[in-house]
Amino acid sequence: MKTAKEMGLGLCPECRKVNEMLSTQQRCSRCGSLFFQRKVNSLQYTLAWNIAALIAFIPANLYPIMIIYSLGVPEASTILSGIGLLIDHNLYPIAVVIFTASIIVPLIKIVGLFFLVLKVHLGQRLKPKKHSKLYHVLEFLGPWSMLDVFVVALLVAVVELGFVSTVEAGPAINYFTLTVIFTMIAATSFDPRLLWDEDDTIEIDKPKEEF
Amino acid sequence: MVDQACTSELIACQQCDALYKQPCLNEGQKAECGRCGATLFERKNNSIERTFSLSIAGLLFLTPAIILPIIGVTLAGQFHNASLLDCITQLIGKGFYMIAILVFMFAIAVPTVRLIGALYISYCFKFNKIKPFLLHFFRAYHQLDSWSMLNVFLLAIIVSMYKLLDDTELSVDYGLLAFVLLLLCSTLVSVTLDQDYVWQTLEKECLDENS
Repeated sequence: MKTAKEMGLGLCPECRKVNEMLSTQQRCSRCGSLFFQRKVNSLQYTLAWNIAALIAFIPANLYPIMIIYSLGVPEASTILSGIGLLIDHNLYPIAVVIFTASIIVPLIKIVGLFFLVLKVHLGQRLKPKKHSKLYHVLEFLGPWSMLDVFVVALLVAVVELGFVSTVEAGPAINYFTLTVIFTMIAATSFDPRLLWDEDDTIEIDKPKEEF
Repeated sequence: MVDQACTSELIACQQCDALYKQPCLNEGQKAECGRCGATLFERKNNSIERTFSLSIAGLLFLTPAIILPIIGVTLAGQFHNASLLDCITQLIGKGFYMIAILVFMFAIAVPTVRLIGALYISYCFKFNKIKPFLLHFFRAYHQLDSWSMLNVFLLAIIVSMYKLLDDTELSVDYGLLAFVLLLLCSTLVSVTLDQDYVWQTLEKECLDENS
């Protein structure tokens, strides 16, 4: 099994053309984008965005995300207390969906990316296949944590009943959005090919064809 | 080292950088990487025709999905409904500029630009108007891939409906139907558009003339 890197070739990340690498940075001969053989400083960038996401996640959970005014009385709720309220109202499916999207998914993304960065940094390539699956899952999960932000945005617009009931967004929504965006950028900064480099244990030469 | 003529017959896996000779595939077949299992190369059925019709359909649903009210609530005799556009104007009115911009980007701007882009590309291919400009255009089109969040927004609509059902009377409007159809079209467009085919044709048509 040869990789493009070993042959002095590089894959253009934009149009997937294999280019001959004449220097470290190069323009793709097909689409003209500048690229490197591997994303430069991929681990550092991923780590930095990840830490930023983790920091933004703290105020996102401490400040209220939504303030409900019913008959003029404000009632603020954070992400967690909002989930508590849903459980009190016996809305279990929604509580589970919101808990997954706003607490579990961001945490899994942050922890998972830390784990992958650590694995590449230590040079342990025991199960690259499993790890790149994990990376795929993390990449897929990214946008779904925006769920809570969209819910609040919708409720703010829909529940506008004057004195009877209005909904306003709280400051946490800004921090939470930042968390989501930072984790998405962190995931795109990571180069999954680093998980496979210097791994010569598996020898398969032909691609499988599916019909 | 491999010379330039050979690199066009090679493909590398995006996930693990394994190098393969480009397989010859018929329409509807795809090749998978033997090392990590990622899709290497795909030939999609009737790609251009399908993309062309689906993007036109998507653009037709776009305006009703944005302007028509999605859901409405009735509480203590008062009624209020909101469209996607109302969400954004309300958020701006209440001073949440960042969230307003992001909702606009992820739920309106990115999907719209992607549909228009797909329409333009499939139009040029269908009527044989391929020009070098498309190389840059298609590259830019790809940057938007992971930032379209219509599907997350639909889940947010469902979650808010559940939340509102608890203590208000809920009504559903035509905006929701248009939104679901828009989501369907925009998802199908990204499934039917054959990237490899587009890139290879562009390369053949645009770059060979120059050299």
